[in-house]
Amino acid sequence: MASSRLALTQHRWFPWVAWVLAGLVALGVAFVIESRSGGHRLTAARMTTSDTTGYQLPPATSPESLRTSGRAVTMPHAPAPVFAPTAETSPQKIATRVTWYSLSVPPLPDDGRQLYLYIPRWKSDGSLAVYADGHLIHQSHANLQWNGSNEPLLIKVPRTDVSHPPHRLDIRMQHVRGIGGAFSSVWIGTYRQLAPRYTIREILQVQLTSFSSFAFLATGVFAFFVWLTRRNEPIYLLYFLTSALVFLRMLHTFVGVHPLIISDAWFGWLTVASPYWMIVVLHLFVAELHGKRQPWLTGAALLVSIVSTIATLPGLIDPTLMSAPVYVNLLILGVVVAFNGVRQSVRFKSRDAMLLSIWCLITVVSGIYDLGLQQNLISIESVFVSNFTGVGFTLLFWYIMFGRYIEALETATQAKADLARRLAQREAELTASHAKLREVERRELLHQERQRLMQDMHDGLGSTLVGALRAFEGGKTAELDTVGILRGCIDDLKLTIDSMEPVETDLLLLLATLRFRLQPRLEAAGVKLVWDAGEVPPLEWLDQRHALHILRIMQEAIANVLKHSGAKTLTVSVRAEGDQVLVRVQDDGRGFEPAGLPAGGRGLANQLSRAEAIGGAIRWEETQRGSSLALALPVSKVRRPLS
Amino acid sequence: MSMEAASTTPLKVALVEDDAAFQQAFRNALAAAPDLSMVGVAATAAEARVMLGEAPCDVLVVDLGLPDGSGVDIIGEAHGRWPGCAIMVATTFADERHVIASIEAGASGYLLKDSPLPTIAEDIRVLHAGGSPISPRIARQVLMRFRPDEKPAEEGSADAEAAEKSGIPSLSEREKETLQLITRGFSFEEIAELMGVSRNTVLTFVRRIYAKLEVRSKTEAVFEARAYGLL
Repeated sequence: MASSRLALTQHRWFPWVAWVLAGLVALGVAFVIESRSGGHRLTAARMTTSDTTGYQLPPATSPESLRTSGRAVTMPHAPAPVFAPTAETSPQKIATRVTWYSLSVPPLPDDGRQLYLYIPRWKSDGSLAVYADGHLIHQSHANLQWNGSNEPLLIKVPRTDVSHPPHRLDIRMQHVRGIGGAFSSVWIGTYRQLAPRYTIREILQVQLTSFSSFAFLATGVFAFFVWLTRRNEPIYLLYFLTSALVFLRMLHTFVGVHPLIISDAWFGWLTVASPYWMIVVLHLFVAELHGKRQPWLTGAALLVSIVSTIATLPGLIDPTLMSAPVYVNLLILGVVVAFNGVRQSVRFKSRDAMLLSIWCLITVVSGIYDLGLQQNLISIESVFVSNFTGVGFTLLFWYIMFGRYIEALETATQAKADLARRLAQREAELTASHAKLREVERRELLHQERQRLMQDMHDGLGSTLVGALRAFEGGKTAELDTVGILRGCIDDLKLTIDSMEPVETDLLLLLATLRFRLQPRLEAAGVKLVWDAGEVPPLEWLDQRHALHILRIMQEAIANVLKHSGAKTLTVSVRAEGDQVLVRVQDDGRGFEPAGLPAGGRGLANQLSRAEAIGGAIRWEETQRGSSLALALPVSKVRRPLS
Repeated sequence: MSMEAASTTPLKVALVEDDAAFQQAFRNALAAAPDLSMVGVAATAAEARVMLGEAPCDVLVVDLGLPDGSGVDIIGEAHGRWPGCAIMVATTFADERHVIASIEAGASGYLLKDSPLPTIAEDIRVLHAGGSPISPRIARQVLMRFRPDEKPAEEGSADAEAAEKSGIPSLSEREKETLQLITRGFSFEEIAELMGVSRNTVLTFVRRIYAKLEVRSKTEAVFEARAYGLL
């Protein structure tokens, strides 16, 4: 169960469905509350109008004649407005009209309970005064034009000692001739009967836009500070500008009940000019999302916006009065930018840009509806839909920024993981290449070792054994010193084995090993060995390959002495001389002429090539008696690659 | 005492070796020496163990590569059961790994298998008389084993002290000098001359070094076992 619930929340559509469900639940609750409320709705009225100039204060009591004068109308009632009413902007000289609505109240029980009037919407473009049984009970006290007409009214019917439910309600509106003067139906009842209706309309019409504007602005300020540290990301600045413009635009939906700190003209200018800039900024924001700028369109939108902004400056065209043409102009700009946004979003495949552009289009459509409402073409009891699409913009912008934030986090996480992965990969590669190198090195070493031993066997053990074999085959065994040959072979083998053990730069140890191996043969031959081992520095280059070469050179030298010289004494001396180590093999035998020695030919050549291979040299030195071979080895040498 | 005994009764020599050719050569070598007598031959470790149950002999020669076990084990057992017997390991190459393992097990010398027959007999005599052969490489190995810093350095001086107390022997200066001269290729005679002692003294040094090597390997095993909490 738990796992399936988890799986459900992991679906991509889950948040959307949750949002839609939450919205439906909120609507349902609103409908339930609305349906449970009561009160009487008054729709029948008589309307009396009279033309005036400028604005006058309402009378303290309403004329009795209103009950019969004028004509019967059904509330809500809105006179057809004039598209461009007047060019006159001074409130004292403006052509105005007083419109009276007189409504009869059905008999209500006089149980002393407080009664209220609930007026969903009214639109005066001027002043409003409400009378109960002829007595003034409510009047607008703020500005003439921006007077909070978007806010529903909940008016207490005064209770006095002669209080009884009123029989008659009179409504006086003095407004610009040609616009305003529209009024919704009027509800009368107790607080419990009317409060739910009033509250829901108040929330939808005023609180919602107010809350969303403030919240949007707050996040906008946050985005602004983000932009200050990340100047190369203009999207944050655009977000802030959007939030600020939406806030300015939305102000008129929740202020105006009380006097404004600026004049009607300036407030109207703000309200009318801000949506132009909203469209411009939205256009830039969408371009930022899909990544393709359009300087021409941006320029055109800017131009339209600048012209409209300047044209609606107070003192030029009064936007409040001229709102209809100004809004038509705005809708055209909105349609162009929205369609362009949709097209670009499709072309450059940006989901967020598409969402915003489509919402912009929806806003334009709702703007047409609102224009209809503003022009009294639609029932005045309806609401401005673009206020809600404005809230939708707030949510959309939040959604987009949330997406960017999540994406940035994802990217950071991904980058971290990527870095770790790349590092691990690199490490693995390095390890692999290292292992490969080592393997190559190992194989090379093995190969060299094999070569070394094979060469050695070929020159020494192998040729000796083959020679012996041939002798056996030829039946010349009698001529052979079989035991001598075999002992020689074993000695060869022992030296080969010795050369495999490391001597660690110790030449004397190597020579000592040689002596240890050859001592029995020398003793057998009756040759006295004088061992004169002096101090020798460590030879850094002395590895196994070099060791075997030295052993073989020395072995050959000693063997030559034993074979040919007839010497009684053999001296091996080791001395360090300068940057060389000299190993001398001297004997007191017959003497020895290296060039003229027939049997030694190959052996001598071998010695020379071995000495060369290890970077040493061999000299046959003049002595008074016998012969002297000197092997000169460098103390240190630049290590050459093994050949 | 041994010299006196040698003049009267021949040395009792036993061989543990599975190679029939070397057995024969060994027999021949001893047959040619009236002062040496072959008292037993074992071709396997099992036979060798039976032999060790009998009366001890003077010199035991053991080959390491037996068909049913390692000669090193036989050397160890022989050293325990026949404490007065001089044990030699028979080897072709006198490679330090095998020889040192044998010495640590209780052998006091080695016999080169390719030696001429008279040399074999002579080596047996020398060993019994207290002389042990030592190659330069073995000398170097022994030196390295006794080098104080050769033990794991991280364990510090406290452990070194503990090692001292636990009875791990160390080499004397003279013994070290002897070994160093051996690694430089000098013979016993030359070393005796260089150090101003008799050849016998040098031989004693070597025998003592071998004994220390054996003690060291055993105490070290105990010491390590203690360190690991096994004892």
